[in-house]
Amino acid sequence: MDNQKAEMQGIPQWMYTEENYSPRSDRDTFINKSILSIFSILSRIKTQGVGTEGKYSVNAVFKVAFTFMLLILLSISQSSSFVIVVMVYLLAVLSLMEAKMIVKILKVSLIMTLFTFVILLPAALGGNIYSGIMITSKVFATITAVNILSHSTRWSSITSALKRFFVPDIFILVLDITIKYIVMLGDFMLNMLYALKLRSVGRNKSKYTSLSGIAGTMFIESKEMADNMYNAMECRGFTGEYHVCSHFKFTAIDFAYIMMNIAILLIFLYFGRA
Amino acid sequence: MHIPDNYLSPSTCAVMFAAMVPVWTIAVNKVKAEMENVKVPMLGICAAFSFLLMMFNVPLPGGTTGHAVGGTLIAILIGPFAACISVTVALLIQALLFGDGGILAFGANCFNMAFVLPFLGYYIYKFIKDSVHSEKGEYIGMAVGSYVGINAAALCTAIEFGIQPLLFKTAAGQPLYSPYPLSMSIPAMTLPHLLVAGVLEAVFTAAIFVFIKKVSPGTIYQGAKQKTKAVYGLIIALICLTPIGLLAAGTAWGEWGTDEIKNVVSGGNALGFVPEGMANGFEFEALMPDYAVRGLPDIAAYILSAIAGAAILIILFKVIGSLKKDKIGENIG
Repeated sequence: MDNQKAEMQGIPQWMYTEENYSPRSDRDTFINKSILSIFSILSRIKTQGVGTEGKYSVNAVFKVAFTFMLLILLSISQSSSFVIVVMVYLLAVLSLMEAKMIVKILKVSLIMTLFTFVILLPAALGGNIYSGIMITSKVFATITAVNILSHSTRWSSITSALKRFFVPDIFILVLDITIKYIVMLGDFMLNMLYALKLRSVGRNKSKYTSLSGIAGTMFIESKEMADNMYNAMECRGFTGEYHVCSHFKFTAIDFAYIMMNIAILLIFLYFGRA
Repeated sequence: MHIPDNYLSPSTCAVMFAAMVPVWTIAVNKVKAEMENVKVPMLGICAAFSFLLMMFNVPLPGGTTGHAVGGTLIAILIGPFAACISVTVALLIQALLFGDGGILAFGANCFNMAFVLPFLGYYIYKFIKDSVHSEKGEYIGMAVGSYVGINAAALCTAIEFGIQPLLFKTAAGQPLYSPYPLSMSIPAMTLPHLLVAGVLEAVFTAAIFVFIKKVSPGTIYQGAKQKTKAVYGLIIALICLTPIGLLAAGTAWGEWGTDEIKNVVSGGNALGFVPEGMANGFEFEALMPDYAVRGLPDIAAYILSAIAGAAILIILFKVIGSLKKDKIGENIG
């Protein structure tokens, strides 16, 4: 009865047999891990464009310069009081930011601090507690400072700030291209990793060798992209030189930021190096 | 292999940075002279490539994953000078935008991964390739080059860490920065690289190179022929340099040993400075005992702790608030 019905409808017999193929499990956590880490980078870069710089933003040139100063002072200082002052300052700045950014920044700096703590633990147990705690807290402060800079500033403003510090044009060009192409190539690679994951049903022995294929294809693809981009740039009259066109306005926020940093410098001098 | 800030002294960082300046200058000039403009965007794309290569997790025995740096591979593909610039930019992005590797330690990181790794790797590859003259020689050169390259970079990192306690101490003799001497930092850095990361880098380099050569052989960098002699010079120079590291390791062993012995023999010496360190440590642990900070007037310290308290509370509430929002979002989704 069923057979007749099936033949009438033109559906072949084999489609009616029940299928019990269950694919054997295989380890593919590394593909997932790669996908996740690329994904997190991509989302980090892609969220850059949308309104990270609010109304109350400090000029990027000052930010880069003073963050650099802060790092040097932190590194030179041997006074635990100065490090505490800086940490309080950074926490205060952090508390003014959006919750999402706070989470991101604290995640990175806490992980690095924990890592440092674990590394320095044997030395601390060997009687060197002071430097262990100093280095750990300094690492926390520096990483928080750098992350505040990178999260509160659009990366293109950082590149333009670099131009003002006399970084050679070729570095800025390469840096610019790199940031853009991490996204493009990352997307490309992500698709290939998805393809590899979808095609690996059951046990796929050639999974490891396809990884080098992915990387190799990515390189060849990137070469073609480079040629195309160069042609496009040439068509638009790019000569390899960067000019900063600035609409520089010295705002009250800039003034407050500079005052704050001068205060930190004075506190550093007050405590001295000891 | 990325050194964070505050592990190296500022003066070490300055020295390493100064060492990189001529390398960068030569690399920029060399790239400008050797490469047509057409290839300049290639540098950026290679930097992105190397950045992503570090994102690539490869399974390792024991259930963990690791990643390759790809410095030698990029040097083979686009030449060592261009590779130097590309890896430098990749490191800059990691340091400046992702907090991976220090900003002050940037010079040191570049020295290890953008100079030692690609140059040594490339010239070893070229030396073996030129002396063997067969396809096999090329692959062997590549594997050996990348293996030696990453291990040399790890050794340099270890030496930079290891000389810190020798050079920078407090009056009481305690190290100011990275506290481990060469005798500990060298095995700690080099062993994992010799056993795992080096092999990974070699396999990855060879596999990608074979693939690119098969699919698109025209893209590979052809170094100038007459360079081979300079290669011998470089290799000899590097061979001469390696004992310096070993020598330094030897003296460190000795010094460390005698220090240990001194402490053991004359217990008074050891007792003299350990409690001081502990006292400092404990004060720090309490962060601000009685809302007072050493060396600050009481009012200032009080205000400071008030700011700290308020800031921490605000952060806490914002974080909790954001977590809740996320959960609601998930329910809807």
